[in-house]
Amino acid sequence: MHRIFICAGFAALTVWSQVSAAAQPHPGRLLASNCFQCHGTDGRKGFEELAGKSSSSIYEEMKEMQTKAADKNIMNAHARGFSDNEIWLIADYFSKVSR
Amino acid sequence: MKRRQFVGLLGASALGLLLPGAAFADDDRKRRSSGSTSTSAGTGVPADTGAVGSVVVVGGGMAGATAAKFLRLWGGSKVQVTLVDQNATYSSNIMSNLVLNGSTTMSQLTYNYNTLRTVYGINFVQGSVVGIVPPVGAGMGSVSLADGRVLTGNKIILAPGIEFDAVPGLTPALQDNYVTHAWKAGEQTTKLASQIRNMPAGGTFVMTIPASPYRCPPGPYERACIVADYLKKNKPGSKVIILDANPFIQAEKHTFETAFGVTHAGVIDYRPNQVVASVVVNTTGGKHAVSTNFGTLFADVLNVIPAHKAGKIITDNPALANVGGRWAGVDVRSYESTGVPNVYVIGDSASSGQPKAGHIANQEAKLCSDAITRALRGDLIPNSAPKTNSACYSPITADKASWLTVVYGYDAVNNRMVAVPGAGPIEAAVATQDNFNDMKKWFATLMADSFA
Repeated sequence: MHRIFICAGFAALTVWSQVSAAAQPHPGRLLASNCFQCHGTDGRKGFEELAGKSSSSIYEEMKEMQTKAADKNIMNAHARGFSDNEIWLIADYFSKVSR
Repeated sequence: MKRRQFVGLLGASALGLLLPGAAFADDDRKRRSSGSTSTSAGTGVPADTGAVGSVVVVGGGMAGATAAKFLRLWGGSKVQVTLVDQNATYSSNIMSNLVLNGSTTMSQLTYNYNTLRTVYGINFVQGSVVGIVPPVGAGMGSVSLADGRVLTGNKIILAPGIEFDAVPGLTPALQDNYVTHAWKAGEQTTKLASQIRNMPAGGTFVMTIPASPYRCPPGPYERACIVADYLKKNKPGSKVIILDANPFIQAEKHTFETAFGVTHAGVIDYRPNQVVASVVVNTTGGKHAVSTNFGTLFADVLNVIPAHKAGKIITDNPALANVGGRWAGVDVRSYESTGVPNVYVIGDSASSGQPKAGHIANQEAKLCSDAITRALRGDLIPNSAPKTNSACYSPITADKASWLTVVYGYDAVNNRMVAVPGAGPIEAAVATQDNFNDMKKWFATLMADSFA
């Protein structure tokens, strides 16, 4: 199931890559902007800096947070709001932002 | 292979995206725009994203400031943005309850528009908006100011915040000087702090909460906690009486039930279903009276938060105020008004299914900016799956806080945002000092994401 979602995210990224010459924004940008309030615009500054982090580490961290007690940490609660596909797009976006 | 290809393309396009004259040192500019994996040019404004047009943003609060910033950041230098507000600076409502116990001051909670002007190239105009003419099709609309100036744009964003209903017995002058609301942070917040400081030991602080929807659902309960905490330490024997027009605590029920029943037990007296009928102000230093459907109470310090409605620029226009004449109906995929095309409403004035609060107003602004940017590029396909988040921290004492979060997804049937199942509202298990420290960091980062 996870693999299917990830593939969907990757498909979105592939389509984007083919049209990016026309200045289409990254398909995860708007979703990722949900993180800016606490992690800084484009993931720079704030709580844990996300800019330039590897997409797999962001993805794995958020997946792990979903399994932990929601009321113990605000990110455990937050991570529950996003599908695998969305997390993948968010993670990919931050991985491509320069620090 | 394909990934590498798009990375290369973007890396190339990212170079030179910065607006000439953007306030970065050269070294910083190089650092931010270099690297083959960059999809963004730091906080610089791209020269050309394909979006061309002009936008007037009315209201420089959390929603309006964020919208202006992201229109430039995502739209590029060919999207001209004018931000208009009646004040030269913004006074943050968030954290303003901590003025009441002397932890901070309003001057420390004041933000200016300098970075939006100098780094993002936003045209900031100070003035009072008296009317708008909505743009038709791809044409220009206009925003008129009280001093006669007229601002024009292809799109108009309205982010005027809230207005209050009148309360029998209160006038704006009486609110400024005797019975404050302090619910638009500013001089009234400082006034209320001074009234609390001058309260006699054993005195009574009465506050009233309006029926939902109102700005910042946990905010009034948080205020009661901060005042109770201060009075316990400084004015022994004092009471805090909460008269809530709602039938129950509107946010963080577990947190505030614990706060009222345990942390501040014996100080806070919470009374639901109490609707304010009238107020009698005592201007000679005696007690004020507040009458509800349950009778009359007397207070050394009285804090009446009136019922809310959308900003005047919206309620003056029935087509915009199409939700009960009080709130603006919006398409939550873009925040375009459901009554007036090319006019967008974000923040507390919008009726969207989401709370009225600064953190989520910031996210609504990003969704709106993204939609407008795409529209100005000729892409009219709506965002099929908008997603937003609400998060906030509430101080419960002078050094402990709780938090609350919800992630919202799109309900296509009702065109509303609804909580994603399992993703809230979720509140902190317990108020802690760690949360209090996180609150300060959250606030600083949120304000930077909106104003810097």
